[in-house]
Amino acid sequence: MISSQLLTSGFVFGLSMGSIFFLMTIGLSLCFGVMRVISLDQLLYYTVGAYITYSISLATGNLWIGLVGGVAVGGLTALAVERLVFRRIYERELPFSMITSFGVLIGGVGVVKFFWGLVPRPVPVPIDAQVFILGTEIPVYRLVVVAIAALVYLGIWLFLHKTIVGKAIRAGTENVEHVEALGINVSRLFTLTFIIAGALSGLAGGLHAPLIMVDPNMGLEVLAFAFMVVIIGGLGSIKGTLISSFLVGQVISLGSLVYAPLAQMAPFVLMLLILLIKPTGLFGSPMLKR
Amino acid sequence: MGLVRWWGGLVVAFGLLALLRVYLPLPFAIEIMIFSIYTIGCSFLLGRVGFISFGQPAYLAVGAYATSFYLYYFGTNPYVGILIGIAAGVVVTLAVGPLLVRLRGDYFALVNLALAVIIYYLMQKVLADITHGDNGLWFLTNTASTLVLDLTRPDQFFIFALLVGFAVWAFYKYLDDSIFGACCLAVKVNEDKLRFLGYDNFKVRLTAFVIANTTTALAGALYAVYLGFVSPEITSPARAADPVVVTILGGAGTLYGPIVGSIVYTGMKDSVSKIIGNWELIVGFTLVFIMLAGEKGIWGSIEPRLNRLIARVTGVRNDEVGQ
Repeated sequence: MISSQLLTSGFVFGLSMGSIFFLMTIGLSLCFGVMRVISLDQLLYYTVGAYITYSISLATGNLWIGLVGGVAVGGLTALAVERLVFRRIYERELPFSMITSFGVLIGGVGVVKFFWGLVPRPVPVPIDAQVFILGTEIPVYRLVVVAIAALVYLGIWLFLHKTIVGKAIRAGTENVEHVEALGINVSRLFTLTFIIAGALSGLAGGLHAPLIMVDPNMGLEVLAFAFMVVIIGGLGSIKGTLISSFLVGQVISLGSLVYAPLAQMAPFVLMLLILLIKPTGLFGSPMLKR
Repeated sequence: MGLVRWWGGLVVAFGLLALLRVYLPLPFAIEIMIFSIYTIGCSFLLGRVGFISFGQPAYLAVGAYATSFYLYYFGTNPYVGILIGIAAGVVVTLAVGPLLVRLRGDYFALVNLALAVIIYYLMQKVLADITHGDNGLWFLTNTASTLVLDLTRPDQFFIFALLVGFAVWAFYKYLDDSIFGACCLAVKVNEDKLRFLGYDNFKVRLTAFVIANTTTALAGALYAVYLGFVSPEITSPARAADPVVVTILGGAGTLYGPIVGSIVYTGMKDSVSKIIGNWELIVGFTLVFIMLAGEKGIWGSIEPRLNRLIARVTGVRNDEVGQ
């Protein structure tokens, strides 16, 4: 029988992992929802965010400054890629954007390798403190990660539901022609969405950095998990992404308590089961291309 | 004449590949041969059926592991091993195919990747008692020498791989010409119209899926016999996009695209990593460039010009040559 202490720490671990997944995949989901592209290069901004966080926190000794830098550079890189590449491929079919963005991803990984080298770098955890919850020691940093993810979700929700730009983006996921007909500059809307997505991916990388080693292939390593989260949640649905990130986080974390070797596999089996029942994921809509 | 023309392109292509062996180191030539066979399945799926799959390593691993299990635990004959690898490919694709081909294009790509990850962990952790986990299975000394073509010797293995490649390409060329090939293309372009013609979309897709990924399993079996070794690294998610990249590089759906793509990709990887040790940079940006420049790939761009050239030389309008 699993002890309640193990269960509590496993639950918090899964929660923090789910938070990272959520921040990492919300960009993918937003891009699909609004622009109908599959933007695998979000994993590049995740890597870049982690590396900028590493470099700045090494120079200043403060992870939070690094995190701000990571978010900013993630967003800027996204802007550059959007202007240079995505601008030209919004009209194309889905697999097209998938392949092109994958090219951007591996090309970008090459650039990262060029600047920082191949060696994995450790990032110190900014908060060493532990708290006792239900008699179990929990690292505070993990709770902070969960709190930040919750704040981001709240922020995105407020942005999408309370501001006019956010409402336009939400309307864009339904029907982009109608939004255009209202006199809203859709092209600028796309750029904005892309920057938000890139910045959030950068945030995910920066937050994840102290929990793992930063290395050039970190984006490729989580690629499969990022895929899985958006598929289970349904491409384009932010609510679905939120739910499936935490679902996957818990399945990995609690699954490893039950039988360690299966933990990495269990979410994929979960995904296959969900797709068997609903081929578009939990909250995915059947629509494909406008 | 028709027969000569039909086989002519194939003979020329594989003659050139055999010639490659003279000028290039043997491991490089073998790698190109196996990689081409590995890629043609992906190229067929992407260019002909419109399925993009980021999970080809899954089927590669199925073939490789089936062959390895036989050679490690049961027998010594590499030919039997390869046949078992192919059989395993058929069985596994028939098992997962009905689920996968129902999915929409984007989900298909992602679910295939997930399958590759599942197989990776399956081989690395869950079945570690049988597969020896990350250490892999070594069976080079288990493999018996055979009388005619001795697969334990690299030079003879190359000849065998060349023959297998020739057979595979003849088969795919036949497929491209057949009604079934036309159906595949129709599924990609407009599945509703195909249904009106009385064909079953699901069956066409499933058959294409089984054929393409059995070819991939065959490549896996060849890898296993050639290296005498298999480890979970073969299905590592980081290498999942290799065949897609090569397909695009060569030109998706073209017959000789996979060969050209494999030569360029393997060559680029070797030479670039020797010079600056950073092949991702080159491969990634080449990929983006090709996609933005019209996604026809290297062979896809050369082929029409070659056709025109041949037509001018022979004086006949000929769409078959070089196809």
